Amino acid sequence: MKIFKALAAGFYRTLKAWKGILLIWFGSLLTVSLVAIPMKGFLKSALGGSMITEKLRDGIDFEVFGDLGSGFRNLIASFPSGLLLLVLLGILLNAFLSGGIFDTLKGSSPKFTGNDFFKACAKNFWSFLVISLIISAILSVLFILLFILPIALVAQSDSGSESAPYITAVISFALFFFVSLIFILTADYARAWQAANDKSACFSAIGYGFSRTFSKFLSSFPTMLILVAVQMLFTFLVFAIMGRWTPDTGGGVFLLFIISQIAFYTKSGLKVWRYGSVTSLKEINDLMKEEVAPPVSQNFQA
Amino acid sequence: MKKTLLIIFSLMFITSASNAQIINKEPLSQRITGYRIDAKLDPVKKTVTGSMDAFWVNKTADTVNDIQLHLYMNAFRSSKSTFYMGSYQVKDTTIYGRIDISSFTLADGTDLIPLIQYIRPDDGNPNDSTVVKIILPEAAEPGDTVSITVNFMVKLPGKIRRTGYNDDYFFVGQWFPKFGVYEPAGMRYRAAGGWNCHQFHPNSEFYANHSVYDVILTVPDEYIVGSGGMLISEADCGDDNSYKTLTYRAEDIVDFAWTAWPGYAVFTDQWRHVKITLLLPEDRKEQVARQFTAVKNTLEYLTGNVGTYPWPHLTFVDPPAKGSGASGMEYTTIFTSMSSYKMPGFIHFPEMVTVHEFGHAYFMGILATNEFEDPWMDEGINSFWEARIMDHYWGENSGMIDHPLFKMADKTSARSSYVYSPNRQVVSNKENSWNYPLGTYSMMSYMKTSTWLYTLMGIIGEETTNDVFREYYKRWAFKHPAPKDFIDVVNDVVKKNYGDKFGPDINWFFDETLYGTGICDYKVAAFNNIRQDTAKVRKNEADTLLRIKPSTDSLYKCSVGLDRLGEVMLPVEVLIHFSDGHETLSNWDGKDRFKKIEVLSNSEIQWVKIDPEYKIRMDVNFINNSLTYEPDRVPVKRITNKFISFLQFFVSSVTL
Ligand SMILES: [Zn+2]
Repeated sequence: MKIFKALAAGFYRTLKAWKGILLIWFGSLLTVSLVAIPMKGFLKSALGGSMITEKLRDGIDFEVFGDLGSGFRNLIASFPSGLLLLVLLGILLNAFLSGGIFDTLKGSSPKFTGNDFFKACAKNFWSFLVISLIISAILSVLFILLFILPIALVAQSDSGSESAPYITAVISFALFFFVSLIFILTADYARAWQAANDKSACFSAIGYGFSRTFSKFLSSFPTMLILVAVQMLFTFLVFAIMGRWTPDTGGGVFLLFIISQIAFYTKSGLKVWRYGSVTSLKEINDLMKEEVAPPVSQNFQA
Repeated sequence: MKKTLLIIFSLMFITSASNAQIINKEPLSQRITGYRIDAKLDPVKKTVTGSMDAFWVNKTADTVNDIQLHLYMNAFRSSKSTFYMGSYQVKDTTIYGRIDISSFTLADGTDLIPLIQYIRPDDGNPNDSTVVKIILPEAAEPGDTVSITVNFMVKLPGKIRRTGYNDDYFFVGQWFPKFGVYEPAGMRYRAAGGWNCHQFHPNSEFYANHSVYDVILTVPDEYIVGSGGMLISEADCGDDNSYKTLTYRAEDIVDFAWTAWPGYAVFTDQWRHVKITLLLPEDRKEQVARQFTAVKNTLEYLTGNVGTYPWPHLTFVDPPAKGSGASGMEYTTIFTSMSSYKMPGFIHFPEMVTVHEFGHAYFMGILATNEFEDPWMDEGINSFWEARIMDHYWGENSGMIDHPLFKMADKTSARSSYVYSPNRQVVSNKENSWNYPLGTYSMMSYMKTSTWLYTLMGIIGEETTNDVFREYYKRWAFKHPAPKDFIDVVNDVVKKNYGDKFGPDINWFFDETLYGTGICDYKVAAFNNIRQDTAKVRKNEADTLLRIKPSTDSLYKCSVGLDRLGEVMLPVEVLIHFSDGHETLSNWDGKDRFKKIEVLSNSEIQWVKIDPEYKIRMDVNFINNSLTYEPDRVPVKRITNKFISFLQFFVSSVTL
């Protein structure tokens, strides 16, 4: 019951935060364009007045890309570093904008104003950045420990069974997935707590996040599972549909752009729904707790 | 007594092997060499102990003083062998392999061991002992048969590189002493008679007479065996029947290999006269249908376009992960594919390997070329057919990968490897396999050859190409064709089908592609349309203005500039498209460095294409083959948009 209450409240608060989501969308488009626009420029100039683009009408033809020559090879070679740069920018942007979003999602928040939003962004920035860097680092280590390492060990053990590495991969990914939910919950609880507190205290926030995740595990975990599953399903559907859709007119491509950007706006909305639901859950539990326990922040000074 | 028995037995074997046919009614090849081998696998010691009776018949007019044989297991004897020097070094000496000869006699008992000399005809490497030469006590006169009996022990190498063991998995190839080929003067255009017996190289291992094989293998009962022979009988043996003996017969093949592993699941299927046996790990059972489809498609395509597969048996193996070193190898009537557990259906990689390795049954097995000296005739021609088969059955644009998001044709993967190689011009295609500069062997022998064969097909057409190969098979099956023999066939068939259309012969094509190092690159440099004063032009050039209709007033002098950027000169088609929709297709011999085409037209040129159907696949850059001043930017925009969405979703998913 608590779960659905939190999900419903989170959803309602997400609708209220639509302007903030618009900012997330716009920030993402801007940063991604830093990589995509030069690539487009390169393709345009490398293809020049060629009609080889006919071969790209039905999708990506490897032959065309290969004939782009060394320029294309350099472009591909620079892709991993470009991606890393984007991820770093993404983390910074997320730390900044989610500061405003979490503030908007509070039950006590008044009507959305740009002024309040950016004030909250600035106030929460450093704390949110530390939280997301620490949790991201933990998730990366877990990815290696829980996913990469077991597969490597099984593959090396020469057990003779060919299905063993495959089954290991499936099991260890599932394990990583479920464990990662705990840390995402921690990050969300921590940020919800930070957004509700005036003083910037990222480590106390993380401590609170862990404590709340485990003390309210039975309601928190299923909530997060539902939210992440919906996001994953949505992403999968978008990729399946967009991947197969190859419009061949200018208008069709424009429509593709619009729809894929709406899809990304929705994806950002689903993420905000996650933030909102965890915030609601925190507030529901706080209300129940107030009568039996001292304020949470004091718990962590002990 | 014993000696007499041996002589009688050897003679019986020779008569039976040379005359009696078990698999095919008539011999397909001359009976020059034959082998009877009795061998036992010791899976604990990782050895194969064998005794072999073999013969070589001097069917030439030469008096031959010596015999030469391959002892290829010795490639694994020293880290400094030619084989190991050309590939990776194995540090652990306990897993080295070797072949030890305990006795080597003529049929009359004459001991040949003191006469054994190790020779290194290819590189003089003193640490290589993969070829032996034995000066015969009495020279072999024309018609003489040299019969030998050899007892040997093979210690298999522990890191499978085509042949060897891993744990309880065995793939045994290149394992017995095998005769080289004695070539009389004139054979493959050689000036004087002599043995052709090359060392074992990392990149080449096949050149042998078509032979008969009677092979008796003894292995522990639980082992499942596959071989290049037809199973004649099977019986239990040893104490408490813990071993079994399998008797195999093979005819007209150039090598005999076998595999043994307790983990194989065995499947059989039938294609016309051919019984096909597949051995693969239990875990890959779901891929059985894919594998049989690949073999049957290849049988159908090559039978229709090249010639018949003459044997009633064929065995192929998809080695388990621990035997992956044996994957992707060809031994004519047995070959190995390559796959893995849960290989997705849209990746046609297992099919590609199966099609390729089985194709060798034709271009290495039936048309037994010299892989050491003419690798392009084996790997290159075979890669060309592999790509044709893959793209024919699995999709013209998706022979290799067929996913809604990404497709790749097999012919594209071959062309790409050649076109994108920075070394594509350092060596010609006519080179001994071991002489190719580092990193160029497969790009040149497989990929460049496949690409210029496609180019040849682009010029002479698909039907004539098939005619060429049918004729090549007809003339050279179970013989040993040389490059010139193949080119002669092309010349004859092209002449028959086209007369003098391509000149007195088509040697110019091979000079450019097979023997040349140049690249091919044609480019549409520019075009323009200049509006003319109609009345004036009409008056002056009335007879040439066929396209001017009295009703239209505008008239353009249209010029097209074409460039030849590469050294290779090939005939190309030029397609010009005008704004009123009409098109002209013309031929350019492609010889000049540049060419200007001028036409008068009452509409402007909209675009120009050289080789509009991309038939000249050697052209290293298809992008500059066409030019328009209003290019279609839609695909680039679409790709960029999808790329943007992908990045957005990706970054959003990996950030909290
Ligand atoms: Zn091959």
